[in-house]
Amino acid sequence: MFAYLVKRLISGALVLTLVSIAVFLLFWYGPSSPAQTICDRETSNRCGDRIEIYERTLGFDNPVHEEYLKWAKGVFVGRDIQIASTTYECEAPCLGVSYLTKQPVYEELVARLPATVSVAVGGAFLYLLFGIPIGVAAARRRGTVADKALVSSFLFLSSIPYYLFALLTWLYLTVLWEAPYVSDTGYFPITDNPAKWFAGMFLAWVALGIFGCTQYTRYTRGAMVEALSEDYIRTAKAKGLPPRAVVYRHGLRAALVPVVTIFGIDFGTLLAGTIFTERIFDIDGIGYWSLQAVQQKDLPVVAATVLFSAVLLIVSNLIVDVIYSVLDPRVRLS
Amino acid sequence: MSQPTAPETLGSLTDETTLDPNSKASKEIAGKSPMRIALGRLVKDKIAMACAFVILFFIFIGVFAGVISGLFGVNTDTQSPSQFLDVLNGGMPKPEYGPPNGGFTWDHPFGIAPRTADDNLAYWLYGARTSLMIAFGATLFASVVGVVVGLLAGFLGGVVDRVLSFFVDTFLTVPFLLAALTIAPILNERFNDSDNYPTIQKVSLVVVLAMFGWMGMARLIRGEVLSLREREFVQAARVLGMPTRRILFKELMPNLAAPIIISVSLMLPAFVAAEAGLAFLGIGVTSGASWGLTISFAITYFEAYPLYLWEPLIGVVLLVLSLNLLGDAIRDALDPKTRR
Repeated sequence: MFAYLVKRLISGALVLTLVSIAVFLLFWYGPSSPAQTICDRETSNRCGDRIEIYERTLGFDNPVHEEYLKWAKGVFVGRDIQIASTTYECEAPCLGVSYLTKQPVYEELVARLPATVSVAVGGAFLYLLFGIPIGVAAARRRGTVADKALVSSFLFLSSIPYYLFALLTWLYLTVLWEAPYVSDTGYFPITDNPAKWFAGMFLAWVALGIFGCTQYTRYTRGAMVEALSEDYIRTAKAKGLPPRAVVYRHGLRAALVPVVTIFGIDFGTLLAGTIFTERIFDIDGIGYWSLQAVQQKDLPVVAATVLFSAVLLIVSNLIVDVIYSVLDPRVRLS
Repeated sequence: MSQPTAPETLGSLTDETTLDPNSKASKEIAGKSPMRIALGRLVKDKIAMACAFVILFFIFIGVFAGVISGLFGVNTDTQSPSQFLDVLNGGMPKPEYGPPNGGFTWDHPFGIAPRTADDNLAYWLYGARTSLMIAFGATLFASVVGVVVGLLAGFLGGVVDRVLSFFVDTFLTVPFLLAALTIAPILNERFNDSDNYPTIQKVSLVVVLAMFGWMGMARLIRGEVLSLREREFVQAARVLGMPTRRILFKELMPNLAAPIIISVSLMLPAFVAAEAGLAFLGIGVTSGASWGLTISFAITYFEAYPLYLWEPLIGVVLLVLSLNLLGDAIRDALDPKTRR
């Protein structure tokens, strides 16, 4: 187990290095000049020859590998970043300085994390809360009219692109009907006013919850149908266990294994930034931030959000694999 | 389809992939290839056929967007807004120019856009073309890459497999949306001085979508190949001295048809949704006609002019929905376990 963890962590670090190099190269060679955007912004579009100053201070005239090493060193020990004539201090873990606000990117990331975590946790809680029991109920009544109606209506709903579903939810509930109490969507710190936090998040949770619920119902139903046809379920029934115990203690426990796997990866992706949800419900989290950074060409922020999401996905993959081996004794990590 | 007829039984002699003559199914429907059986089931599936019809309808629209808009006498040219728009009413179309304020008019059957006075029908038709072109392009590209990588990794094994699998894993650690978000603007900035900027934008979108869409296919094909390559017919081909290239394409490929068809049918709706989604976020197609782009414009006017939003929205939903449902039906039809 320990050897496996070490191996996975090393390969994860390798993947991260590769992703960071790829992002770095992309920004280095991608735009005509990586310094152009910030130069234009700082000189109110009269950049002209002054681009050289920016390129020099940002290090774009050095060889790319030197600058990458400088950047990588900054992640661990911090560094000073010079833009034109001003020097910005950037403590470890330094992911650069935002071209727009001149704040260290890491600090901004941490500041926006609570909003994204709120969306992800609330949404995931809702879809698990409804998805799994509905899935179990459908599996128990397999083949009945109710099951067929549920499966086909959920298939229909989950075939609609998520962002359109969320957009319609927002448009109807807040713009058209101005639903009381919850129509002012957005993120308000939970520490300031928990009621306002809840009201601001509510619609985002509902949209995410309903949509995720349709998928988790399908996963749970599928896994449950398979589990209920196993021999040990017949044995459990034959020895006279109450149906409730058969379904929940024997069936559901086995059926949850694949669902947990999917959920782990899903949740990691959610934490990495729920771009559409945050954009539509106006929540200032990581996803919205990365979108704004892309539109304003704030390169350090974009690079940081990509890396952040890669870290989350790698970690969630690892956690899922470990949990998998705990839940399912047949799985041996090696 | 259920009753075997003489020509079909004869047809089995020329069919490349024949059913095992000893299996149970062959007694009922003699001499049908698995693909023919699947097709027969698909044709009987009413929902699948309805979806196929809708998809064909959109493909027709996409291919003949120019002709159809010509028939209606509409085009995507930039209009002079003041003539059509009611400035006092927040830049909404004047009543005489169709919905929402006025009644239906043949000049602009779908109405005209607020603020720009563009014709909605023309943009809708060309939006279908953009959507399908990008989705099909990306699917083709991603499938070719996925199949080649999967075949090589699965068949060659060893170091090649490990290197390719590492690449698959690396690509999977970057969320698709974020990757598209990052790369598309850079490509656009690089080429935005170019004359054919709209085309470059679409091509770069196809590349980005395909770049982060091939991994699922590669994994699936690799798994299939891993189990196929130990089967007797492949070993026999090896013993006979068949070159690797021929084993890959003549022996393995026909057996991979089902997984390839299934993943293609799942890729298409994902790419249609992704194209519209990126345009909605303002980073996909930013100039030209795209349903997602129209949706992002229409949000502001939703209260006064809901039709403007509903038109592209129904387009996206209908297309993605039918592609998804057809994909599900194809998967069921090809899956021997769901044999009825």
